[in-house]
Amino acid sequence: MSGDKQQTLNFEKLKMVLGNQNSILLLVLLALVIAFTIAEPKFFTVATAGNILTDWGSIVLLATGQTLVIISGGIDLSVGGTLAISGVTSAWMMAEVLGLGITTSGADAHGALVIGALTAVATGLLVGLTNAFLITKLRIVPFVATLSTMGATLGFAIIISDGMPIGGPNDFSLISPIMPGVIPFSWAVLAVIVVVSIVGLYLHKSRFGLHTYAIGSNSFAARAAGINVELHLTKVYGLAGALAGLAGFYVYLRLGAGSPSSGVMRELDAIAAVVIGGASLMGGVGRMIGTVLGALILFTVQSGLIMAGVAPDWKKVVVAVLIAAAVAAQTLRPENRKR
Amino acid sequence: MKLNRVGKAVAALGAVALAAGLAGCAAEAEDETLSIAFVMGAESDPFFQAMKLGAEQEAEAQGVELIWQGDPSNYSPETQIPIVDNVLAQDPDALVLIPTDPTALQATVTKAVEAGIVVANVDTRVGDLSDVLIFITGDNEDGGAKAADAIAGAIGYTDGESYQVVIGLTSPTATTNVARQEGFESTIASKYPGIQIVDVAYSESNPEKASTNVNNWLTKYPDLDGIFAIDGTNASGAAAALESNGLVGQVALVGYDAYPDNVAKIEAGIFTALIAQDPAAEARLAIRTLVEYLRNGTEPSESEVVIPNVTLDSNTSSDDLEKFTYVAN
Repeated sequence: MSGDKQQTLNFEKLKMVLGNQNSILLLVLLALVIAFTIAEPKFFTVATAGNILTDWGSIVLLATGQTLVIISGGIDLSVGGTLAISGVTSAWMMAEVLGLGITTSGADAHGALVIGALTAVATGLLVGLTNAFLITKLRIVPFVATLSTMGATLGFAIIISDGMPIGGPNDFSLISPIMPGVIPFSWAVLAVIVVVSIVGLYLHKSRFGLHTYAIGSNSFAARAAGINVELHLTKVYGLAGALAGLAGFYVYLRLGAGSPSSGVMRELDAIAAVVIGGASLMGGVGRMIGTVLGALILFTVQSGLIMAGVAPDWKKVVVAVLIAAAVAAQTLRPENRKR
Repeated sequence: MKLNRVGKAVAALGAVALAAGLAGCAAEAEDETLSIAFVMGAESDPFFQAMKLGAEQEAEAQGVELIWQGDPSNYSPETQIPIVDNVLAQDPDALVLIPTDPTALQATVTKAVEAGIVVANVDTRVGDLSDVLIFITGDNEDGGAKAADAIAGAIGYTDGESYQVVIGLTSPTATTNVARQEGFESTIASKYPGIQIVDVAYSESNPEKASTNVNNWLTKYPDLDGIFAIDGTNASGAAAALESNGLVGQVALVGYDAYPDNVAKIEAGIFTALIAQDPAAEARLAIRTLVEYLRNGTEPSESEVVIPNVTLDSNTSSDDLEKFTYVAN
């Protein structure tokens, strides 16, 4: 009798673990690492981890903002364009206004880079606030509002840069692993982890987060409960814009140049990371840790397929399958099926 | 929606008025100023930015009016055909066309010639050139061959040794990519059999993805000898990857397209060599040929002209570097 009971208990425990989106994501990640290591032993190295983290840095910043927007029941298609224009304005500020070129490197570039980072974040914030204005004041649905700012930002990025990358001062050691072969993290990636953690805590441990979930679940009820929905959405889109601006600066650090084509289709990578991470496009559901793991899975797949020598065209197919599986896993879970 | 419809109506009215006005002018002031329409592929491409500058300079030197048009960012016949139709409605004396598709634009060329407009093709061509006065292009296959020579030179190629090289591409369908890759691969196969092309990957026009590809290659092939970055985007990404991995000078990097930022990186030793096209020269020659034909009836001595790509490296004089750098206004 007691053996049976123990077995049922174990089964319940297993079901709980498997039912948790984060454990599923970790299992998927583990399975991918094992599969790619079998295909190419060099995949299981600190160098590969460094490559994956470097790629992860820019998209996770976009995806962090996107998580807030999606939980609030909206969508932000402009984050890729915001990344591009912020990288370009940042480069323009350093190259044209401060007059520094690619010969300013190493520690000499740090002062300029601080100004460049501030320029990028300010640019992103401006785009985010424009989105908020279109959505809350002109009552345009988020999909259309951010579709128009996506076009405008990509266009302005080309206009400002004449369509060519603007090179400027840089310190490439900030974006390289701190100790190659030992520590895969770069200073830039560590900074990203700090920023994402702060935004994650803000979402899960503050009234701001509570209100975001409330608006995403039912904006009428949220309004009835006394939440200033317009003001709150302005904060959400403003923050998403600022994070996309920071991502633009991160990409500047990677390239040593602000490139107008660096944002193309990046919004879809960000949305993919959020969706794989378990957030619902209907709003009201999602966790920051899921987004972080979702983005990590995306780039593990990307690096793994390159390392394994799989034809590049397959990457899109694999990512598509992952997205479909992630969403199916959500909707097929028993507690969701009851609804 | 409502606003959109009103806007369209206003635009249509405006276009009609403009066309009528232009027709009136043309009737009154015959052969005062020649007008040459120039319809290119995609404004956002630095290649066309450089071409625009060449066209503007030559139009000014020849004293002709230039009508520069094209889609802001889409390189496609769907967006190009309506633009050409609108331009032809302005009744220019000549049309320089960069057809975005050899078949889809053929009818447009026929229509222009029937309306008495002289047509030239630059960079790309329509399938049947019999209606086209002159076709001027860069030779991408030759550019790929030059890249192979540059890589072989940089790695100190000797027969009997073996070397590993990768190619960073943009997409499997970009025609310039395909021509450059063919020129590169056939030259490697015939002249440098010891060089093995171990992998290719796509950047999807995104320099960050180009950089990712190179990072992964450097991990997978620790003894990598060289990288051929097939366009400006791949060149930017590959250069950044070498810099952040501290491998500048240890892995040969041959890029394509003389963006100002890339040219600066030749001087800094990051690029072994950069292959450049000369879009401004293509545009200048097209306009000069059309003006001579319209003013004096001089037919060009050749109906197809190939402007070769050039190799820029640390031995190139600073004057030449400046001359071939893609500049916009």
